[in-house]
Amino acid sequence: MKRREFLKFALSSLLLGGMSKSIFAKEPPVVSVTEGKDYAAITRNVIAALGGMQRFVKQGHVVVVKPNIGWDRRPEYAATTHPLVVRAIVEECIKAGAKKVKVFDNPCNDPRRTYVNSGILEALKGLRNVELKHTENERFKNTKMNGVFLKEWPLYDEALSADVFINVPVAKHHGLTRLTLGLKNIMGIMGGSRGYIHRSIDDALIDVNTVVKSHLVIIDATRILLDHGPQGGNLRDAKILNRVIASTDIVAADAYATTLFNLHPQDISTTVTAYKRGMGEINLNKIRIIKV
Amino acid sequence: MKITSARISQYLFLAVFFYLFINTEYRGKDEISFAINSFFRVDPLVVLSFILSKKTLIALLIPGILMLIFSIFLGRFFCGWICPLGTIIDLTTDKLKKSIPIKFLKTNLKYYLLFTLLFAALFNVNLVGILDPIAILIRALIFFLYPLFGYSIRVSWAGLYSIIGENRDYIGSLYSFLRDYILPFRETFYPLAFISFMLLIAILFLERYEKRNWCKNLCPLGALLGLLSRFSLFKRLPAKLCSDCKACKEICPTAFDEEILQTKDCILCMECTLKCKFNRVKFSLTGTGKNKKTKAPFLERRVFIGGLVSGFFVSRAFSFTSPSQYERLLRPPGVTDEKEFLKKCVRCGECIKVCLKSALYPAFFQTGLYGMFMPHMITRLGYCEYNCNLCGQVCPTGAIPNLPLEQKKKSIIGLAAVDKNHCLPYAKKINCIVCEEHCPIPEKAIKLESVVERDYRGKKIILKKPYVVEELCNGCGICEYMCPLEGKAAIEVFSKRKRDQALRS
Repeated sequence: MKRREFLKFALSSLLLGGMSKSIFAKEPPVVSVTEGKDYAAITRNVIAALGGMQRFVKQGHVVVVKPNIGWDRRPEYAATTHPLVVRAIVEECIKAGAKKVKVFDNPCNDPRRTYVNSGILEALKGLRNVELKHTENERFKNTKMNGVFLKEWPLYDEALSADVFINVPVAKHHGLTRLTLGLKNIMGIMGGSRGYIHRSIDDALIDVNTVVKSHLVIIDATRILLDHGPQGGNLRDAKILNRVIASTDIVAADAYATTLFNLHPQDISTTVTAYKRGMGEINLNKIRIIKV
Repeated sequence: MKITSARISQYLFLAVFFYLFINTEYRGKDEISFAINSFFRVDPLVVLSFILSKKTLIALLIPGILMLIFSIFLGRFFCGWICPLGTIIDLTTDKLKKSIPIKFLKTNLKYYLLFTLLFAALFNVNLVGILDPIAILIRALIFFLYPLFGYSIRVSWAGLYSIIGENRDYIGSLYSFLRDYILPFRETFYPLAFISFMLLIAILFLERYEKRNWCKNLCPLGALLGLLSRFSLFKRLPAKLCSDCKACKEICPTAFDEEILQTKDCILCMECTLKCKFNRVKFSLTGTGKNKKTKAPFLERRVFIGGLVSGFFVSRAFSFTSPSQYERLLRPPGVTDEKEFLKKCVRCGECIKVCLKSALYPAFFQTGLYGMFMPHMITRLGYCEYNCNLCGQVCPTGAIPNLPLEQKKKSIIGLAAVDKNHCLPYAKKINCIVCEEHCPIPEKAIKLESVVERDYRGKKIILKKPYVVEELCNGCGICEYMCPLEGKAAIEVFSKRKRDQALRS
C-alpha cells in the first residue's frame, strides 16, 4: 500500500507539474517598438502599447527615471538620452499620479555640464513635482549584494527606495561590452570607483540589476551611436532611427535593441549573462514584439 | 550717522568684488561674462609689471592704464575708494586698539619691495602677483576661505542626511539654490591654503600697530600709486595740521604721521572733511605747487639702485629647477611657453577656482621658488574638461590664452603614456578599457588592440590593450584621473615640452 501511495503521489505530482507548465505557460515578454519623428509622441505610444504608464505608476508613487546623462555631449551626438524622450516619460508619470519624479545620473563628465549640454535640464525646466538632481556622495549606501562578482557596493539610495524605477538608456556602442543598453545603464546608480567593475563587467552589471530591478525599460533609439562609444563626439557615428523601444523585461528590450545595430543578441555578453542568470528572455522568437 | 562718499564707494566695490568672485565659476553657461579678473585689469601694478616683463601692452589691460592716469591726477583714490583689501581691513580692524608703529616699516621698505618686483619683471620674472593686494585677498579666498565655507555647508547638509534621511529633501530646494548660485560646486582644498590665508591674516594683524599699516608701509600697489600721486592736482587743504586742533592726526588713517600731510599716503578717504569741527577741510583741484616740500623717495638713488640690484638678484637667484620636476609639469590648456607664462601670470588663482574638474592647483616648488602660486595641473586629481575653456576666459592677463573652444580642444597640455607594468590587460590579463572609454577625442586618442591570449588558467581570452596615438592626444588627463587602479595610475600624462625649453638658460 505504501508503495502504491507513493507511486500515485509521485505520478500525480509529475503530471501536475508537467501540466502546469503547459497550462500556465508564462506569457512571452512583450517588447513594444514605435517609430516616428515626433519623439514625445512615439515615447507616449510605446508606453501605451505596454498598457500605459498607469500600469506601473500608481497614485502617490515616487518614481525614479534614470536616463543616460553620462557625457558632456549635445543630444545629436547620441551619447545621452534624448531630452524629449525623457520629458515625455516624466510627463506620463505625473499624469499617472506620481507624487514625485526624480531624474538623475552619476555622470562621467562634470555633472553640471552634462545636465545642461544633454538638453535635459532645459527640457525638464518648470515641470511640477519633477526634480533633476545631482547625486550626492552621502546618499550612496553601501549595499549588500551577494552577487556573483559584487558582494557589496555603494548604490544610490533614491534608486533603492523608489516605488518605480524606469530605466531610460540610449542605445550605443561601447568599447568593452560592445553595446550599452538597459542593463549597462544601471551603472548610473553606482557610486565608488566604478571603473573597477570593468574587470568582470557582465556579472557585475547583472548583480546590480538584480538588486535594483527596472520596472520599465525604455530604450531611446531615436538616434543610436554606432562607433566610438560610449561618448562618441562625431556626428558620423550617430545614426538617426527615430525609434523608441519599451519593455518590462530588460533582457528582452536589450535583445531587441541589439538588432538595430545589425548584431545578434547572442553577440552581447552582458545580455547573454543576464539571460543565463534568469533575468529575462533573450530569444527574439520567444518575445512578442508589438510595433505601433 | 554721516558717512563719506568714499565709504559708500568702498562698500559698493566690495559688494561688486564678492559678486564677481562668486560669479567666477561655472554656473550653467559656457561663457563667464563678468569675472573677478576685472579687478586685476584695473590694477596699475599688474599692468605696469606686465608691460615691463612683456615689453608690450595688450588691450585687456587698457583699463589699468586709465587707472594709472587717473591716479596721477587724483592720487591714491584706489586705496580709499576701491581696493577690497583696504575695505576689509577697515571693516574688520576698525575697533582694534593700536600700539606704537613698527619702526622697521617706517623706512623705505615699501619702495625697495616695489622696485625689486618691477625690476625682476623687467628681467622676465614677474613676481608682482605674490604681493599684489588684490591677489593676496583673492588667493586667501579661493584657496582657503571659500572652500572652507562650501565645505562647512556641505558637511552640515550631509550631516542632516544622516539624522533625518530623505526628509532632508523638504528643504532640498534651499540647498540647491545655495549650491547653484553661491557655493563652490565641489570644494577642493589646495596646497598653499595655509600660506595664502596667513598672508591675509598677517596683513590684518599688522593693524594692531597702526591704521592701514599694510597700505601705508608695505603694499607695493600703494607705493606705486603714492609715487604717482606726487603729481596729483587734487589736494587737501589745509595741507598741515591746524595748530589749534590737530584732531586730524587721530582721524586720518594714513597721511598725518608728521605735521604736514603726506600726499603720497593720503588715500582720499575724506574722513577729515566729515569730522572737522570747524569745517575747514576741503579737497580741491588747486593745481600744483602747494606741497613740494615732501621729498620723493624714488629719487633717492639708493632706493632705485637697490631695487635694481635686488630685482636682478631675485630674478636669477631662484631659477634652479631640477629637470625631473618638469617631466610632469602640466600647465593649463593653451600655455605653450613656460617663459612667457612666467612673464604674464598674476598668480591670482582664478583659473584654479574656475576649473570644472579641479585639475589645477597652485604650485609651490615645482617650477622653482618663483613659480609659487602659479597654476599647474595634477591629472590624478582632476582633468581638463573637453568642452570647457573657462580658465582662459577668466585669466586677467591672457597668460592662459582665451582660446575659442575648438582651438582649446586641440591645444596640447601633455601626452598620455600607458604604463604596461601596471595596466590591467598588459600586467594582469584583465580587460578594463576605462581610459579608452573616457577619452573625449572623437577619434579616440587611446585606441584598443584586441589580442587573443591565454589567461593563467590556460583559457583563451580576448584582451583589449590600450595604446596612445600621439597625434590625437591633447593631454587632458581624464584617462589618468579615471584609471581604476588603486594608487598609481597605469596611464599618466607627461609634459611634452621640448628639452631645451624645460631647461632655463
